This record gives sequence, structure tokens and C-alpha cells, in this order.
Amino acid sequence: MKKALIILILPLSLLFSSLTPVALGATVEEQPIDLQVREVAKTLRCTICQNESIWESQAELAQQMRDLIKERLLKGETPDQVRAYFLSRYGDYILLTPQKSGMNWILWAGPFVLLAGGGALLYRTLSRWVAQTAASKQGDPPPIDDRLRKRIEEELHSRED
Amino acid sequence: MKIWHIILVISIAGLLALFYKGLWGDPRAIPTVLIGTQAATFSGPEVRTGEMLSTNRFHGKVILINFWASWCLECRTEHENLMALNRRFSPNPNFVMLGINYQDRLEDAQKYLQEYGSTFDHVRDLKGTISIDYGVYGVPETFVIDQQGIIRYKYVGPLVDTGYTHLTDDILQPLLEGRSISRS
Repeated sequence: MKKALIILILPLSLLFSSLTPVALGATVEEQPIDLQVREVAKTLRCTICQNESIWESQAELAQQMRDLIKERLLKGETPDQVRAYFLSRYGDYILLTPQKSGMNWILWAGPFVLLAGGGALLYRTLSRWVAQTAASKQGDPPPIDDRLRKRIEEELHSRED
Repeated sequence: MKIWHIILVISIAGLLALFYKGLWGDPRAIPTVLIGTQAATFSGPEVRTGEMLSTNRFHGKVILINFWASWCLECRTEHENLMALNRRFSPNPNFVMLGINYQDRLEDAQKYLQEYGSTFDHVRDLKGTISIDYGVYGVPETFVIDQQGIIRYKYVGPLVDTGYTHLTDDILQPLLEGRSISRS
């Protein structure tokens, strides 16, 4: 009896589980306000799972933040005003993209300045190496010290003997 | 030594100092921007009685707000200290203490208060708006608001040991006596 029940329920549950998302997908329709919510939510960092935006996060606080964004937009605030509200509560940290102002310019310009500095340093060092190599090829061979000269002479003498 | 050698050495030393400093910080900590700003007023139902409470009625008082939840283990470690703090300061008519129940089920919050006891009111944050207004990102978090309604202090984590004594002796006591406090 139990086996028969499982045999009956299992295919049915598989059928419904495969149909449900399609059915749900067909009934959900995005409103213009939802697009605005998404636009704002994607720019704000979830304060719990800090590598995600509050649009992607499944945390309850992120859900409440999305609801609050919608509520404020429906009241007539612009997306920038909503972002400014969150900024006033959590500071720069809430923005996934740092603002281009004040000390934040170090974040924006830093990598390019370092790249330019590193490139200039590399160019200068390589230029010197190239110049030194070229000079050594054109001129006399590098001098050898007395110890080496003496050893060479000894080697030559021993060969002659 | 050439000038660019000096710049290179200073830059590397600066980076190492930053990395070293980063080792001791809490990577999840979010620095607050609310200190010195006007505290948001709020209202909500009291956890045990359901009566609507509003901070408007506490205007002109030093208010301590503690965000907590029944599922939060660290909240349990500070609970005795919160009770002691309320015992110490509640005789002062210029002091009031409020708990804000954060992302919790009503029955769990009520059970928690019944089990651990409480001598002050607790407001339910039904839609999370109180928490967001205060820039809360976890529990427990504690705020102190002065008589003018300005947020003067925020503490993230359980109020135990030096965190507790700093709050009582260096923040609340001076504020209630009308003395200035160190900003921290």
C-alpha cells in the first residue's frame, strides 16, 4: 500500500514541480515602478551579505530595503533621492560604486596612477639595460681582474708544457 | 639614494602599514555616519502589550536604544547588563531605555522577554524601517540619544566588559549630568 502510494505521488510531484516555475513566470509582470526599484537596489550594497547588492540578496533586511525603496519611489522621490536617503543612514559603504568625490578620488585614480608610474619605471629601467648592453658590445671587452688573468696564464702554460 | 627610491620605499612602507592595520579591524564593521545627526523618531507596538509607543513622548530625555532579537546569541550575553544599566539609570527622570525587536517573530520575542525578564519597553520593528533609519546591519547594536535628540554614541556588539563600563561611565553618566562626552 505504502509503495503504491509512493509510486503514485512521486510522478505527480515531479510533474507539478516542473510546471510551477513556468506557471509563476507566466503570471509575474514587471511594472514600471519595479524597474525603478531594481535600478536603485542594484546600486546599493547589502549590509549583511556585503558582496551582493540588495537586489540580489536574499537577506530579510535586503527585502525590507527593497520594500522601502518602492515605498519612497511611490511617494514621488526620485531614484537619486532614495539613494541619498540610504547614503545618509549607512554612509558611502552602502554604495556599490564609490562616489567620485573627496578621498574617493584615490580609489578611482589610484590604479591608473600606479600603472602609469610602474610603466614609466619599467621603461626607464629597460632603456638603461638596453643602452648598457649596446655600449658593452661596441667597446672593449670588460676588464678581468689580476686573479683571473693569473689563472688563465697558468692554464695556458700548463697546456704548453 | 635617488628621489624615486625614497618614494618607492615610502609607498611600500605605507601599503604595509595599511595591510597591518587591516589585520586588526573587523571586515564586516560599517563605520557610522549618524553620530552628531538628528535621531529619527519612530513608533511601533510594544512587544508584550501591543500598545503603540512613540519616541515623541520622550523628547528632552537621554534615550538608550538597543536593537535585539530572540535568535541573537550575543543579545543574551548582554541582557543582564542591560537590566543592570536600567536599574542604575531609570531612577533618573531624564533617562529612558527602549529595546527594538529586530527581524523576529512576535511569539519568539515574547517568550524571550518572559524567560530573561525585562524592566523596560520594547518596540517591534515591523517593516525594518526603524533599523534602516538607524543604519543597523546586525544585532545587538546600541545607540544613545541626548536631550536635544542628537545621536551621540553607537556601539556594535554585546555590551559587556569595557564596552559596558565605557557606555555607563563615559557616555550616559556625563550626558545625564550635562557634561561633555568624548566622541567615540
